[in-house]
Amino acid sequence: MNRGGTTFWIGAILFLAAAFAMTQLIGNQYPFFACYVILQFIVLAIAWNVLGGYAGYVNFGTSAFFGVGVYTAVFLFKSIGAPLVVQIAAAAIVGALMGFALGLLTLRMQGIFFSIATIALTIVIETAITNWRYVGGAAGIQMQQPAPMAPFTSYVQMLFFVQALLVVLAVAISRYIQNSWIGRGLQALKDDELAAECTGVPTLRLKLLACVISGALMCAAGAPAAMYLQYADPSSAFNLNYSVSVLAMSLIGGTAHWAGPIIGAILLGATQQLLTVTISSEVNVLILGVMLVLFVVGAPEGIIGLIRKARGNRGEGEA
Amino acid sequence: MKRRTFLGGTIAVTTLGLTSGAGAQQAPIKIGMSMALTGGLAGGGKASLLGTEIWRDDINARGGLLGRKVELVVYDDKSSASETPAIYSKLLDVDKVDLLFGPYATVPTAPIMPLVKQRGMVLIGNFAFQVNSKVGHDMWFNVAPWGPADSWAASFLDLGQKAGGKTVALLAADQEFAQNLALTARDVAKKMNMPIVFDQSYPPTTVEFSGILRALNAAKPDIVYVASYPPDSAGILRAVNEIGVGDNVKIFGGGMVGLQFGAVMENLGSLLNGVVNYNSWLPEPTMFFDGTKAFFETYSKRAPEAKVDPLGYYLAPFGFASGQLIEQAVKAAGSLDQKAIAKYLRENTHQTIVGPIAFSADGERKENATLQAQFRGIVDKNMDQFRKSGKQVILYPAKLKSGELITPFEAARN
Repeated sequence: MNRGGTTFWIGAILFLAAAFAMTQLIGNQYPFFACYVILQFIVLAIAWNVLGGYAGYVNFGTSAFFGVGVYTAVFLFKSIGAPLVVQIAAAAIVGALMGFALGLLTLRMQGIFFSIATIALTIVIETAITNWRYVGGAAGIQMQQPAPMAPFTSYVQMLFFVQALLVVLAVAISRYIQNSWIGRGLQALKDDELAAECTGVPTLRLKLLACVISGALMCAAGAPAAMYLQYADPSSAFNLNYSVSVLAMSLIGGTAHWAGPIIGAILLGATQQLLTVTISSEVNVLILGVMLVLFVVGAPEGIIGLIRKARGNRGEGEA
Repeated sequence: MKRRTFLGGTIAVTTLGLTSGAGAQQAPIKIGMSMALTGGLAGGGKASLLGTEIWRDDINARGGLLGRKVELVVYDDKSSASETPAIYSKLLDVDKVDLLFGPYATVPTAPIMPLVKQRGMVLIGNFAFQVNSKVGHDMWFNVAPWGPADSWAASFLDLGQKAGGKTVALLAADQEFAQNLALTARDVAKKMNMPIVFDQSYPPTTVEFSGILRALNAAKPDIVYVASYPPDSAGILRAVNEIGVGDNVKIFGGGMVGLQFGAVMENLGSLLNGVVNYNSWLPEPTMFFDGTKAFFETYSKRAPEAKVDPLGYYLAPFGFASGQLIEQAVKAAGSLDQKAIAKYLRENTHQTIVGPIAFSADGERKENATLQAQFRGIVDKNMDQFRKSGKQVILYPAKLKSGELITPFEAARN
């Protein structure tokens, strides 16, 4: 393991330790409710970036994957009372299968057409769930959290820690992809798919892999939301807001580096939570919109791009 | 050692004295709630909040509650279920509010029920539908006039049956509220021995209803029960205007959302005539209780500034009534003890501007007070006509009745 790898894993362990310590030390529930949402967005943004950032396939179907994750958990909980771990694992498998199907779509559709197809995917799946009475249909379904597992004293603290674990898993995967041949291959097909194919990059295999990983992570991130809300209805679970927010987070953070979506998700997620409890009116929607416009115009490569630029300038100054 | 203990004791007593002194010095009573200020439910949410704000200003002008000012802590839940758990956790754990009001409507309310139950807080519900049936929180009190789950459909189908109807057609949007209504309507029709000859759900994005309506007409139902949302309510009435529903239909409507809001009603105008639909409050002579008139005078003055429904019949008076419920209960309990407040609310009948309210064990109204009213003599493009009595004649419940049903539907349309 190189030095960067060691630092990364030490950081990850410290992060998990801090998250765990929080659950044991803080009695106030609100930080867990708020941070859970931010962590959830981090996983979603990282997952989006695997396909959207590395491979350049802009996916508007985040809400479809998220919603399927939620409803996989709902179905398993209602039918067999499955524990949280099973719900998440099953959601990841379903998400991987869905990602595989989406990957096959990329054979025929590229660019804007792929994006449109992903929006259609959301609508098709939402309509299907809306008409599925067993999981509540359009009327929604209420569930009751079981008792939390030791050493956690409340369920939301447990969910918070589980989501933190998912964050570490997602970051590790995303970081591995970026630094390995997979990332380089995806980079090549992002620049020019035809040229990449001609030079021997297995584009279809790589795209399928990216879709499967992205889909699995998104669904896994959605699964705990069922128990977090203790309620699921199609219009909330498949809310287009997830797709738009996640896309904005990745773009604002920067899509070229695994850390970009994390920065974007923390920044936007925290801003959203903060605005909800401070300004609390139409203005929060406006602020988010303005932020997005400013970044797209002023920093098209996101915060990561800005940091690189600043470093580059300093380097030149020193030389 | 002794001196140190003494010193510590003195500090403790002084601190205690100071804090309790500060408490006695009118720290406001904080009431926490989330409200749909943006998103799909915002139109109703803002009007509802204005109603509660009018109550707050009113009680503060009268010297407050238990001698303390009342303060509302309100956050925007964006009409979404995913926002409310964090908001109510913030209200309870960070803002440390003394009392809780629910968000407007079912979807944002459902996710907070377990949390509120776990914390043992009284929650005054705001037009949520059957959110407590599975959770079973014994401190939930819904201000909405719904009553028992099936009474809503029962009242409409009963009117239809009395008018000579034998068969039922159901037309419902594929959305939470409409599907809940359709579900109970199926049960009630079965109990009343009325066969359902047409049962159709449609996607909420549907805009063109003439096809669906032709299919419905072909089934020749006597009673048409519609559970729809604002955009489709308008679409359905336009289709009815174009192709009609046949002479055999005795009664049409029931659960159409949107026909309670001023802007929608003004827009539809004469298309509304004959429709029998649910409502919560109407300016009929039977609906004025102590304080109702004064409330609407204030509301009409403040509505333009708050940019909300100029009529505000559907939600605003209930926002005010939520405040009245809490006011009476806190005064009777003499403290903010949640159990004492809940006990009082459960055991008594409360006089409010929307009439007397009593709760059954599940926290819903003991008696269904959801109105079924028929639109009469409505002309196009006139908001003020809806302020007069006789434009929406109340047929149900019997206590509040202000007229008789005109039937069949085609006769009532003219």
